[in-house]
Amino acid sequence: MAKFVWSDQLNIGIDVIDQQHRRIVEYINQLDDARSNGMSREEAAWLLNDLVDYTISHFGFEESLQEEAGYPFLTSHKKVHELFTKRIAEFQARAERGEDVTKALNSLLVTWLFNHIKRDDNDYVESVQTYLQQKQDFVERKKGLFARLFG
Amino acid sequence: MKKIDWTDKLDTGITVIDRQHRRIVDYINRLYEAHAQGSTRAETGHIIDELVDYTQTHFAFEETMLEDVDYDLLARHKEDHRQFIAQVDDLRQRFRQHEETAVDLNHLMVGWLLNHILNEDSRYAPVVMQEH
Repeated sequence: MAKFVWSDQLNIGIDVIDQQHRRIVEYINQLDDARSNGMSREEAAWLLNDLVDYTISHFGFEESLQEEAGYPFLTSHKKVHELFTKRIAEFQARAERGEDVTKALNSLLVTWLFNHIKRDDNDYVESVQTYLQQKQDFVERKKGLFARLFG
Repeated sequence: MKKIDWTDKLDTGITVIDRQHRRIVDYINRLYEAHAQGSTRAETGHIIDELVDYTQTHFAFEETMLEDVDYDLLARHKEDHRQFIAQVDDLRQRFRQHEETAVDLNHLMVGWLLNHILNEDSRYAPVVMQEH
């Protein structure tokens, strides 16, 4: 499996979001390493749970930012997050049943995230950037609710 | 196998949708290249999976967007998507069972997508843009 190498073209230009995306990429690579390093199934499952947990928080943060900024395609964006979350949950369930899903899961994570950042996320940048310039306390206000993202 | 050269008349004017359409076209063209270069079945199969996967995500995004604006032709639009995915899925299953359906799949994708963008998606564009 290929490593997911972060490249500048994945930066959408909103720092707080770019940092979160980078963290997700790190998780994906850690999970990939786990496989090649012969990590136990329990440890790999633990890591996958962490990735899912972090990603769900990230989605929540992003949606709340879009909502406050009045991004017009919020409902569609949310729908795409929701479908992705469901698919990952299916992978988790299969992994729990003892199936080796790492390869297919890695492929989905890499492809999906790349496509999603490059297209869907880039689309909200304009609305959100304008909003963040007006509401500079947004990130501070959200730190409690989304503590997971700022640990 | 056919390729699609993107032209401005394929733009609906809704940036996020146009980006997604272009991505589908990228995948179609990758399938074309893979075929032209004599790629392995595994490689071709991988592109097909990503193509179908991305197209389904795009449909979900688009349908939600149309629900949001109470688009009056939503039911028909959804039905078009559903029938198309059923056809694509059939060809994909047959490809997995070692039938040579990659070319049929490419032709179906190219024909359907161009027709759908030009005749169906272009219809909702003014409605969506007015709402947003």
